[in-house]
Amino acid sequence: MGALRIAIKDLEIFLRDRGWLVQLFLLPLMFILIFSGVLSGIKSGEQDERVSLTVVDLDGSAASASLIAAIEAAGGVRVVPREAAEAEALVAELQIGQLLTIPAGLEAAIQSGTPATVRLQSHPDARAVDTEAVRVVVEGAVQDLLLEAQIIASLQQVGDMQAALPAEQQVFDEERILRQAREQFASSKERPLVTVSQQMAGTASEGDSPDMAHLAVPGFAVLFVFLAAQATARSIYDEKRVGSFRRLLAAPIGRAELLAGKALPNIAIVIVQMVVILGFGVVGLPLLGRAPISLGQDPLALVLMALAIALCSTGLGILIAGLSRTENQIGGLSTLLLWATGVLGGSMIPLFLLEQVLGPIPRAVPQYWANRGLENVLLRGLGLEAVWPQIAVLLAFALAFFAIGLWRFDYE
Amino acid sequence: MMPAFLEVEGLTKQYGSLTAVDGISFTVERGEVFGLLGPNGAGKTTTISMLTGVLAPTAGTARIGGHDIRTDLAAAKRLNGLVPQDLALYPTLSARTNLSFFGRIYGLSGRALRERVADVLRIVSLEERADDAIETYSGGMKRRVNIAAGLVHQPELLFLDEPTVGVDPQSRAAIFDSVRALNRSRGMSIIYTTHYMEEVELLCNRAAIIDHGRIIAMDTIQNLLGLLGGGVIHLGVANADGDLLAGLRALPGIRSAEVMDAGSPAAPGEEAAAASPGEGMQITLTAERAREAVVPVIGLLNARDVDLTGLEILEPNLESVFLHLTGRKLRE
Repeated sequence: MGALRIAIKDLEIFLRDRGWLVQLFLLPLMFILIFSGVLSGIKSGEQDERVSLTVVDLDGSAASASLIAAIEAAGGVRVVPREAAEAEALVAELQIGQLLTIPAGLEAAIQSGTPATVRLQSHPDARAVDTEAVRVVVEGAVQDLLLEAQIIASLQQVGDMQAALPAEQQVFDEERILRQAREQFASSKERPLVTVSQQMAGTASEGDSPDMAHLAVPGFAVLFVFLAAQATARSIYDEKRVGSFRRLLAAPIGRAELLAGKALPNIAIVIVQMVVILGFGVVGLPLLGRAPISLGQDPLALVLMALAIALCSTGLGILIAGLSRTENQIGGLSTLLLWATGVLGGSMIPLFLLEQVLGPIPRAVPQYWANRGLENVLLRGLGLEAVWPQIAVLLAFALAFFAIGLWRFDYE
Repeated sequence: MMPAFLEVEGLTKQYGSLTAVDGISFTVERGEVFGLLGPNGAGKTTTISMLTGVLAPTAGTARIGGHDIRTDLAAAKRLNGLVPQDLALYPTLSARTNLSFFGRIYGLSGRALRERVADVLRIVSLEERADDAIETYSGGMKRRVNIAAGLVHQPELLFLDEPTVGVDPQSRAAIFDSVRALNRSRGMSIIYTTHYMEEVELLCNRAAIIDHGRIIAMDTIQNLLGLLGGGVIHLGVANADGDLLAGLRALPGIRSAEVMDAGSPAAPGEEAAAASPGEGMQITLTAERAREAVVPVIGLLNARDVDLTGLEILEPNLESVFLHLTGRKLRE
């Protein structure tokens, strides 16, 4: 009960502090507005707004050329032809958004009626709408290519059958020829000779790709809920500075209860921050003419992710309080552990861009796992079975922060 | 015989090689106001911190109402009230909210809590401003709320740690009145630490003088003052012999006359030099009334043609007692 009373008192003090309220609740919304606009602007500023589709033509036939021409003619997709080796290198570096590979022997397969597969690959962080547009265009072009081949094949069959009969038995009239053609079309739909297989390059488990502008919502949610840790560290420091910490130590409550009382408000504040920031993403963005974010498909995954992030942020608060002896040290450690690692963890720069430049380094900070987990739940619609590794890593970080913070905590 | 309400035995606190409190022992009876008098850094606050459970003792122990602070600290804490030297309050909250919070921490709730908060606000005369944020109060008012926060759960033993530091005379008088009222009408035992000797003389029944973590004197205020008799006269003379000392002792109102050598308590090294009335030999006279006795003393020195190189009269107060015992002033 002592912990709860201390927590309620701290929340009462927090609610009277306009500085913290602005920093933890208003600033993230402003950052989201600004950054989502910037990220959207990157797209709208391009000269050619068509989606780039890198094409590797291993067949080099009239059929493959016809397919490529049909894709380009469909509009919305810009074909970028590349050699196979070059394209594979770019795929490995995750620098290609969409890649279409036309296999060798496509034309021969069509003519002989043998199944063949063109392969379409998409980057995991490519815009979902781009990926879908490319798929529709490629599938349409393939269907057109097949239609042409099927019509020719049907008419050839009719001609061959007529020619094989005596003149008095050549009874194929127009109606019979059309029926034959229709049966052939139906057959092509049921048993397509050419299929399009679509897959993500890189991490296939993280499925659909987020909208770049929407990355600002989980990104700044993570950055600012971790900043709540500074409020916790500052609150503990203030108690020590004015002497009320000493007064509480003299009261009949345990030290663990006292620290729990100081930690609980951080968890409550982070939960409210998440509700406010995500609520803004769902309700506020549409009011401002922007597309809303989705809260994902798995509420349990979202709740557990939020709790893991709250515990990690609280652990950081105890760590900073445990390591700091002066107000300046709290400021310095907060800048390092909250702002710098927040940027490194992908709160301001999309994770796939950070990883291109820094490799696995961002994975060393908890904000990376928080960002990855929230993006997966909110923007990719993944469930608990997919995001539990991020939750586990966040809990491990929280445990380490609490352990070090309590070990270094100076009660005297 | 009833045991004392507070029994302290060999209490010690060490920080590495530094001994902040060095094996002190004392007792405080129920209803007694006990002073801990000493300069800054003497170990008063560390002693209080150990007795209230803020710090763990390195050695020794204490029993409060029969509860040992080493084995039954939670029960001992329930009997204690601490008024720290700092303004240990939440400035953006009102006095009433602050007091209610500290009351709840001690398990009060509902009507009992409201009545206790109203009671302590009345004791410190702050009912009218009770709902204003503390940050809008004057320094003296904050001090009074600081005291009220230590009283809200009705402790049986109240620790007041330098409660008048930085307080205006009016608030200081109000604090004295509160301490007297708590002790007399409610029978509360009080440990009052200060480096203002007049506060101890005014408020306390007994006092311990503490220096460098040790108790160097402990008695009733009257007996502590009696260490100096009616006062002490320190003489600096160019030379002195047995005849001069005998002559001084024979003067009316002089109780004793001693030559202070390097080993005497009044001359411990450099600090003794600071208190020394002059160069040459030093003679300490204990008088029944120091100011009255000084005239015949000077007359005798003149008659014997002894050069007077220094003269200091110590009135019989605790400041003088401390100077007499340590060779240093209390506020150095």
